Amino acid sequence: MRWFRELFAGVFRKPHEAILKNRELFADFDQSRPLSHYDFVVFDTELTGLNKRKDEIISIGAVKIRNLHIELSSAFHELIRPAKLDSTDSTLIHRITPDQLRDAREAAEVLPDFIDFCGNALLVGHFVGIDMFFLNKACKKALGGYIQNPSVDTMRLARGYIEGQRSFDYGHTDQSVSYRLEDLTERFNLPRFKPHDALEDAMQTAYLFLYLIKKMKKGGIQTLKQLYQAGRIWHLM
Amino acid sequence: MPKGTEGVHSVSPEVVLLFLKKTIPFNELDDETLQNIARHIIIDFYPKGTVLFKQDETEVEYLYIIQKGGMKIYLKDEEGNITLKDFRGEGAYVGALPIIQGTKANLNVETVEDTFCFLLPKDVFLNLVQSHSRITQYFLKSFSEKFIRTAYRELRHRNMVPRTEGTLYLFSARVRDVIKKEPEFIDASRPVQDAARRMADLHIGSLLVSAGSETGIVTDKDLRTKVVAEGRELSTPVSDIMTSPVATINANAVCFDALLTMMKHQIHHLAVEDDGRIIGVITAHDIMVLQGSSPLYLFREIVAQRTIEGLYPLSQKVPLVVRTLIEEGAKANNITRMITILNDHILDRLLTLLMDKMGTPPVQFCWLLLGSEGRKEQTFRTDQDNALVYVTPENEHLAVQAEEYFREFAEAAIEHLENCGYPRCPGDVMASNPRWRAPYPKWEGYFDHWIDSPEPLEVLHASIFFDFRSGFGDASMAEKLRDHIVERSERQQIYMLHMARDYLSRRVPLSFFKNFIVEKNGEHKNKLDIKHKGLTPIVNFARILSLKHGIRETNTISRLQALADKGHIAEELCSMATDAYELQMQMRFVHQLGQLEAGIQPDNYIDPGKLSDLEKQMLKDAFAVIERLQGVLKSIFPAI
Repeated sequence: MRWFRELFAGVFRKPHEAILKNRELFADFDQSRPLSHYDFVVFDTELTGLNKRKDEIISIGAVKIRNLHIELSSAFHELIRPAKLDSTDSTLIHRITPDQLRDAREAAEVLPDFIDFCGNALLVGHFVGIDMFFLNKACKKALGGYIQNPSVDTMRLARGYIEGQRSFDYGHTDQSVSYRLEDLTERFNLPRFKPHDALEDAMQTAYLFLYLIKKMKKGGIQTLKQLYQAGRIWHLM
Repeated sequence: MPKGTEGVHSVSPEVVLLFLKKTIPFNELDDETLQNIARHIIIDFYPKGTVLFKQDETEVEYLYIIQKGGMKIYLKDEEGNITLKDFRGEGAYVGALPIIQGTKANLNVETVEDTFCFLLPKDVFLNLVQSHSRITQYFLKSFSEKFIRTAYRELRHRNMVPRTEGTLYLFSARVRDVIKKEPEFIDASRPVQDAARRMADLHIGSLLVSAGSETGIVTDKDLRTKVVAEGRELSTPVSDIMTSPVATINANAVCFDALLTMMKHQIHHLAVEDDGRIIGVITAHDIMVLQGSSPLYLFREIVAQRTIEGLYPLSQKVPLVVRTLIEEGAKANNITRMITILNDHILDRLLTLLMDKMGTPPVQFCWLLLGSEGRKEQTFRTDQDNALVYVTPENEHLAVQAEEYFREFAEAAIEHLENCGYPRCPGDVMASNPRWRAPYPKWEGYFDHWIDSPEPLEVLHASIFFDFRSGFGDASMAEKLRDHIVERSERQQIYMLHMARDYLSRRVPLSFFKNFIVEKNGEHKNKLDIKHKGLTPIVNFARILSLKHGIRETNTISRLQALADKGHIAEELCSMATDAYELQMQMRFVHQLGQLEAGIQPDNYIDPGKLSDLEKQMLKDAFAVIERLQGVLKSIFPAI
């Protein structure tokens, strides 16, 4: 259906080159390879707020996982100049000032770099749906198309893992599991990063992802497809 | 604004840099070099139990710096025997030596916790070592130091001290404490026959000789070689065969010095001098006895005693036996069992001799052991916890007689036991207390009360009673009482809820950040009460489930095993709990033995700062098990 989509998109506007290249990469995506054969880009965004209509991405942090380990040599950290530069309630959280944003590049410049950085990797994030929404909203607006990389939600992955562990020890269950990134970090006793910085949050998520994927791998899950079938924890877009 | 695409490396997360900045030896590097290193780093996660290096097999491609978690390093010989070499925790690294030497992994490395590592590629690391003299120095120095440290730790791992362990006692025991009797003198002018007769009468091998202002010595060896072998007259004066002046040793010298002096002069007797006065003689035999402490030897000594007073010093020898056992690598459960057997024998002998003295009791009775004695889990100097049950006397007259006899019997027994070195129970749970010395039906009544109409506090105090076993006398009475409790417990389980509620209110001694919870104030500040925080929860867990499931065992490990055998708990949980229990018992033994040998009253307060990383690690694992046991308890008694 590629020709159709392209044709259809072309009626309105030709998508950016980065988007076209991205589509090529995922033309036929194979889910049956071992997990270690995939690249993953764990990313996090900082937003001006959570209003799906009004708010925008102002920062992307990402690290690459190759061969199931994090490579510090390929990290991505960029600010994006939003349309509206006024400080918002979120400024207090991420501490990115309007001055810093004024110097940043625009989405139309940053996003192609990010798409290029991602290559054919799967995207990983915590509550990744929100990040994907704003990312794609920005891509659509700035580049005229959506990105095709499938995404993985570490929150769902964690839920699958924790639920898989139950029925242990007398079926002793804990109903009060919190799936916030900070709480999972604590639960699994992971090293801590500075919260509310896109790169550090991406690192924190990457640690969580590495932890879960390796723990689940020990439990016999070897390929992407198996992981998908095991928990329906994947969110393929 | 840095442009963050692949290949442009200037965005290493702050956390990674901060970590390297406080990690030796990377903290020696300037910021630019650190940034440079950081960008080559790979981060990986190894679940607990992952083997990173295999000895002589693995090509080491990275220096592994531990960000979080821990690893054990071990050697495996051809027979598959494993020798633990070291434990590495946060900020430590593995792989440096093989990279520098260009060899395969020289040891096995396995993660003992979920572990995150920073991996520094081989060539980057080598480059660093070659270009930064401080780093070079560090690694060269650390190799030699590490070898020494490892050797030392291995010793510790083999229970503190070298294998010829008895020798260590030689360094602490003073000559003064070993000599038994006042010195025996004979005048130098007396005939040798008198000397021989005196020695035979006193069962000793030597006499000191008063020869004017000098002191000499005559030994049985002198009689053998200088009188009998040479065919001298029995009237020969002692002065002809004595050695004078006698070799002496100061009373405050340690036994090791005495042994050295004897070896140097090839003699077996030394006069012990205190303030210029001779206070006794120490012999090679005395020192050998000090060393030789086989359980069998002690056992024979106990059984051979003809007087109660003769038993008094024997219980003091138990620690010596235990030391030998620990050296031999005995598990804590075997050690406690050995102590139990020895103590049981002392009790048996003591009560038998007491009965000989007092005459046959008017009715049959059973001496009950409670608490840790009842569970066969004694360590050194356990407080007395005992009680007495006897057959209901047939008539009033016999009842008065029995009351009188057992009062006297129990009071005497408790006092003798105290003299043997078993302190009285501070809570007065002893047979000398009239409440805990009663005819059988009264005992059923006590337990019925605790089981049926429990006052929470009362039930807790009664916990140690539920661990009773027969110590002496008619064991069938103890069995009958146990039957009664098993049957009763099946119908009535409310009292267990009280126990469970209390057990669950005790916190596992690991804080939020996985450090130990230690005492906050007082004499034992910053120390860990291993008995109450670590052992008691496991004992409690085993007790309550055993009561619930009608298991008659009282020993904690036997209880756990019985629970697993009958499918009440998972086999895995049983073995984890057993390991945790034994490990802590072992630590407690080593700790208490150290105190005993330093002349300190043994206690249960361990200083976590003095444990090796490995010991800390193992202790933390043990506490994690306790948390799990509490979770299980919570799910079994959900009403709490």
